[in-house]
Amino acid sequence: MSEAPRRRFAKALMRHAARVMPRGEWGEAMRNELDAIADDHVALDWALGCVIAGYGERMNVMLQTWYARSGLACLMALLACREFFAPLLIFAYRTQNLGLAHFLGLRTAGDDYRRLIPVMDATPAWLPLLWVAAGLLFLMALGRMLLRKDGSVPLFFLAFALDLAGAVMARSIEASTGVIVTPNLMIRAAGEILMLSTGFVLWRMTRKMPPTTS
Amino acid sequence: MGRKPIFSSQTGRLLQVLLNDPSAWQHGYGLMKLTGLQSGTLYPILLRLCDQGFLEAKWRESETAGKPRRHVYRLTPNGLAFAREQIAPARRGTGALLGAKA
Repeated sequence: MSEAPRRRFAKALMRHAARVMPRGEWGEAMRNELDAIADDHVALDWALGCVIAGYGERMNVMLQTWYARSGLACLMALLACREFFAPLLIFAYRTQNLGLAHFLGLRTAGDDYRRLIPVMDATPAWLPLLWVAAGLLFLMALGRMLLRKDGSVPLFFLAFALDLAGAVMARSIEASTGVIVTPNLMIRAAGEILMLSTGFVLWRMTRKMPPTTS
Repeated sequence: MGRKPIFSSQTGRLLQVLLNDPSAWQHGYGLMKLTGLQSGTLYPILLRLCDQGFLEAKWRESETAGKPRRHVYRLTPNGLAFAREQIAPARRGTGALLGAKA
């Protein structure tokens, strides 16, 4: 690529970065610097960086909107419900509340809780408590995020760690009983990916919060 | 009392450069050269420091005719105090490492 097209490309990227940057003054600040950069290669690097900065700032602004916050709150509530599901099913089965067990069983792979009886019988009592703790931590993280208080991210990732520990234990129970609770690996992976993505968005969102004053 | 923000090593590097000549106004490209930070890293830090009141920014007309005005930055008194408080101990501890970019 010759020098001139590289410079033209850098200028086009800078125009885009300045448009994307939500604060016009900063967009102009980045764009005007380009004229002070003599080397075309450095100018192109500069412009690429500015595009990244522009999109990053745009994302930060979007994450502060009420609909982004509400969407994230829904996702975190969903993750908490996911943690409560297995303990509730086990509780319903062990207390012989078969109506509830049947109702919940319809929402599992195979549509029947009876398929999961060997797994539920083999599950130690502390494992559902671990999931409940994870669910409560997700709810606490959700509450702190909505109240714009610090500490939601560590709570979220602590919940994630408990969920992972529970998942590892559950896999060993599945292996010992020969019953696979969720046969579809994609669905399993989607749950973990959703959790990690939510954690990342939560981190980005809370990172931009103004410091708390006391 | 305001809580002290946590800053990254990149922010520390920028504060270090600004602290070297606190009265001087620096422009973005100059700061990039001095800190070694890419623009994609530098501008979010500049934005955040301005929002937190640690950095002030203004426009300066270009000395070359036909060139656009440039945004320049320097530490505010608050930023200066903060940088001195945060960077000086680190500089004493790891002077060689931090001084390498200055």
